[in-house]
Amino acid sequence: MKKLIVFFLTLSMPFLFSLPVQADETCMSPYIAKITGQEDYVYVWTLGVEGVGDEQDKLVTIGANPNADNYGKIVHVLSVGGRNEAHHSGLSDDRRYLWAGGLDTNKIFIFDIHTDPAAPSISKVITDFADVTGGLVGPHTFYALPGRMMVTALSNNVDNGGRTGMAEYNNEGEYIATHWIPTDEDLRGATKSGQFADGYGYDVRVKADLNIMLTSSFTGWSNYMMDFGAMLSSPEAMQRFGNTMVVWDMHARKPLKVLDVPGVPLEIRCAWNPDNKYCFTSTALTSQIWLIYEDDSGEWQAKAVADIGNPADVPLPVDISITADDTGLWVDTFLEGKARYFDISDPHAPKQVYEQVIGSQINMVSQSWDGKRVYFSSSLLGNWDKTGEADEQYVKLYHWDGETLEHQWSIDFYENGLGRAHQMRFGSYAMYGKLNPYIESVQTARTQPSEEDPTRIQTDS
Amino acid sequence: MWRKTQVFGIAAFVWLIELSIGLDVPAQTSGTLDSGQHFDVSQAFGPGDVKEGYESADYETQSRSLLSRRGIKQDLIQIVENPPLGLPPVAFPADNPITRAKIDLGRLLFFDRRLSINNTVSCANCHIPEQGFTNNEISTAVGVEGRLVIRNAPTLYNVAYLQHIFLDGREISLENQVWQPITARNEMAAPSIGYVINKIKRISDYDGLFEAAFEGRSADIATVGYALASYQRTLLSANSPFDRWYFGGNEDAVNESVKRGFSVFAGKGQCSVCHQINENHALFIDHQFHNTGLGYAVSTGKTAAQKNKTTSVQLAPGVFVDIPNETIQSVSRVESFNDLGLYRVTENPADRWKFRTQTLRNVALTAPYMHNGQFATLREVIDFYDQGGIPNELLSPFIRPLNLSESEKTDLEAFLESLTGQNVPRIVADAFAAQIGELSKDDPNWAHQNTLGF
Repeated sequence: MKKLIVFFLTLSMPFLFSLPVQADETCMSPYIAKITGQEDYVYVWTLGVEGVGDEQDKLVTIGANPNADNYGKIVHVLSVGGRNEAHHSGLSDDRRYLWAGGLDTNKIFIFDIHTDPAAPSISKVITDFADVTGGLVGPHTFYALPGRMMVTALSNNVDNGGRTGMAEYNNEGEYIATHWIPTDEDLRGATKSGQFADGYGYDVRVKADLNIMLTSSFTGWSNYMMDFGAMLSSPEAMQRFGNTMVVWDMHARKPLKVLDVPGVPLEIRCAWNPDNKYCFTSTALTSQIWLIYEDDSGEWQAKAVADIGNPADVPLPVDISITADDTGLWVDTFLEGKARYFDISDPHAPKQVYEQVIGSQINMVSQSWDGKRVYFSSSLLGNWDKTGEADEQYVKLYHWDGETLEHQWSIDFYENGLGRAHQMRFGSYAMYGKLNPYIESVQTARTQPSEEDPTRIQTDS
Repeated sequence: MWRKTQVFGIAAFVWLIELSIGLDVPAQTSGTLDSGQHFDVSQAFGPGDVKEGYESADYETQSRSLLSRRGIKQDLIQIVENPPLGLPPVAFPADNPITRAKIDLGRLLFFDRRLSINNTVSCANCHIPEQGFTNNEISTAVGVEGRLVIRNAPTLYNVAYLQHIFLDGREISLENQVWQPITARNEMAAPSIGYVINKIKRISDYDGLFEAAFEGRSADIATVGYALASYQRTLLSANSPFDRWYFGGNEDAVNESVKRGFSVFAGKGQCSVCHQINENHALFIDHQFHNTGLGYAVSTGKTAAQKNKTTSVQLAPGVFVDIPNETIQSVSRVESFNDLGLYRVTENPADRWKFRTQTLRNVALTAPYMHNGQFATLREVIDFYDQGGIPNELLSPFIRPLNLSESEKTDLEAFLESLTGQNVPRIVADAFAAQIGELSKDDPNWAHQNTLGF
């Protein structure tokens, strides 16, 4: 029987490793192998909180396969030392490593998630990010390009403001180059198309088929580390936010055009269909969906295409997630704790079709490739989250049938002594030609071979 | 804010002209950079991330490249040994005479983020050279892990003359003072003095420097203080247009508005009662503490912002909304902090809400103003004092309604703007050339696998 299992696994290997190069949850690099089926784990990059557990940042692994006996449970916690302002994370192009950054300490933790997907380990810690990059501070987005990891930064080490750049690393975690965001003084060959060229950074995404890379803009260390209430009350601080996106030549890493997108454009989500020559972003402060698109003349443009809630109420849109078929966009609004679903079939006129309150606060959203499973987490920034009882910290899974979110499970990150739950990334044994050992059928197959139904041990790939 | 733009712009323009003439002449005649050096002096007068006019929908960025923020090391001992016009001689502590080696070492320490617990915060995080050695970009300072500092970072220009250090006067010397921000939990949060000393000893950048500066003595609680104090003592700035007029006798150094403003300052406004001017020099301080009512109002919830149910918050250029204070409170951790000023040190109830008089030198470069950074512009400060501060039982007797006319306020503002020192570019150029201490591969791996090491 074991030989038979090996035979079937061998048959499946070529398919496992010849998958179309797309992302699992629908918002990551097209250069990453994707999970089209069932994810086994959700890796949650979690902020340590004073007074909660061991008070330090950690990578929390949650069982996500409903057929496994660890489904909806915390299966592993890896404390990394310090409160680094854990924020975003991103997978390497081979999906064997998860890079996760600290916006405060500039540390980058590279986790091995393939040796034992249920128990990630630290492979490398980059501690000299600011030094080698020429002063970049706040490693944010980790975005895989072939053999490379593009790391956007939020700030700099001379005035702690928003002027910054991107750092390019190889997969071994070695620094390659710094790509500065254009400023008025040094547009670096780009065109300033409007009023702004602030030099700020935040997210990065590519439309690889068009050789286009996009970056967005947030704010500097002084603001993102500051108490949210104090910052809102400081007129000076509220002037230090990004109002730009930059269109880059992806291969040349050269900025082409600076677009005005006022009100803090954060996450960038690009359409998957090669015919859809556009990406979306949402502006956190002005609460709008913006379309960044190539017009009929081949010129990249930006325009606001929808309001998110009532902008005058400042619902504070944060994470967004596009569906794999480019027809839907999830938009989380932090202050409302609400998830909204927009029909973006007409990208120039998105329409909200659904909304639901997920918790007292909300930040990240990650959906499975088929869009049927949608995970939400709670934390925005260590000093921006709500206080008191409204400071709920969670990861929640919902099922989405196209019309309604149906709650499946929640994990309380405070009750479990973990901290603030931030970004979620998926893991799967199938990515590495392995079987989920926590599925009963696999365990049974290993001990009691069943020649009648050898496919029982197969998982989606 | 547009006025600040004008100040920066005019000052930069003037300096550009002066430097274009004086670049190749000896430093003592140019009075700016060391001889033969080129530095874009416009960088010295405000944030490189220029936000003037941001209130308007017509705002356009004028952002500078970080790559152009390059300086030239200056011989700062010349400044402190021969203070610029308008400043008195500096008195050095008997146990800490000034030397170039100490200044260089102090500069290295000042910009070293590794002195904080998590290698993220240096002195320069809050005292940013081109922002008047304060921070123009936030009202109150931010420490390690974003922890709240309840006060606006004070400028370091001319701290050599202070008798009381900190706005509540709790320290007596710069040498002692340096350890407070390094070890304060909400600033650099180093766990102990010994830990920092030991860390310094293990950073190769400091190899031999303490020994060279202190006759063989290595880093310790005193020498770290001596070095940092020595650098800060060199940050003397004067020979402003006002100085050249008032002390130098150059009638053309300032315009008539400045002269009228000085009359208001020393006369009807009675500003000089606290911001004193002596016969041969002016520090614009009285080494005393005063209650203007501002701290009282904040502590007792009586500021206009606190009384309102909403706060106007800017979302983008030209875009403002009124956010309910309840919403702001829901994401705020500041409610338990009341700043009682000198009382925090003396616990004398008569000292409640008293703060040390701050210098007015370079005041055009050090916005936002007051102990909590509450006012964005000099005009707001003038208006506050013109209304007589905020009444309370401990209000300083020197604070009373002034009934200034609009033209008097304008002139007073012009006077304050004339107090920008001529050598600001030189000091900033020197600071720009400083090494920023960051974790590097040469360091022990205390960023991730730290040990006590002692």
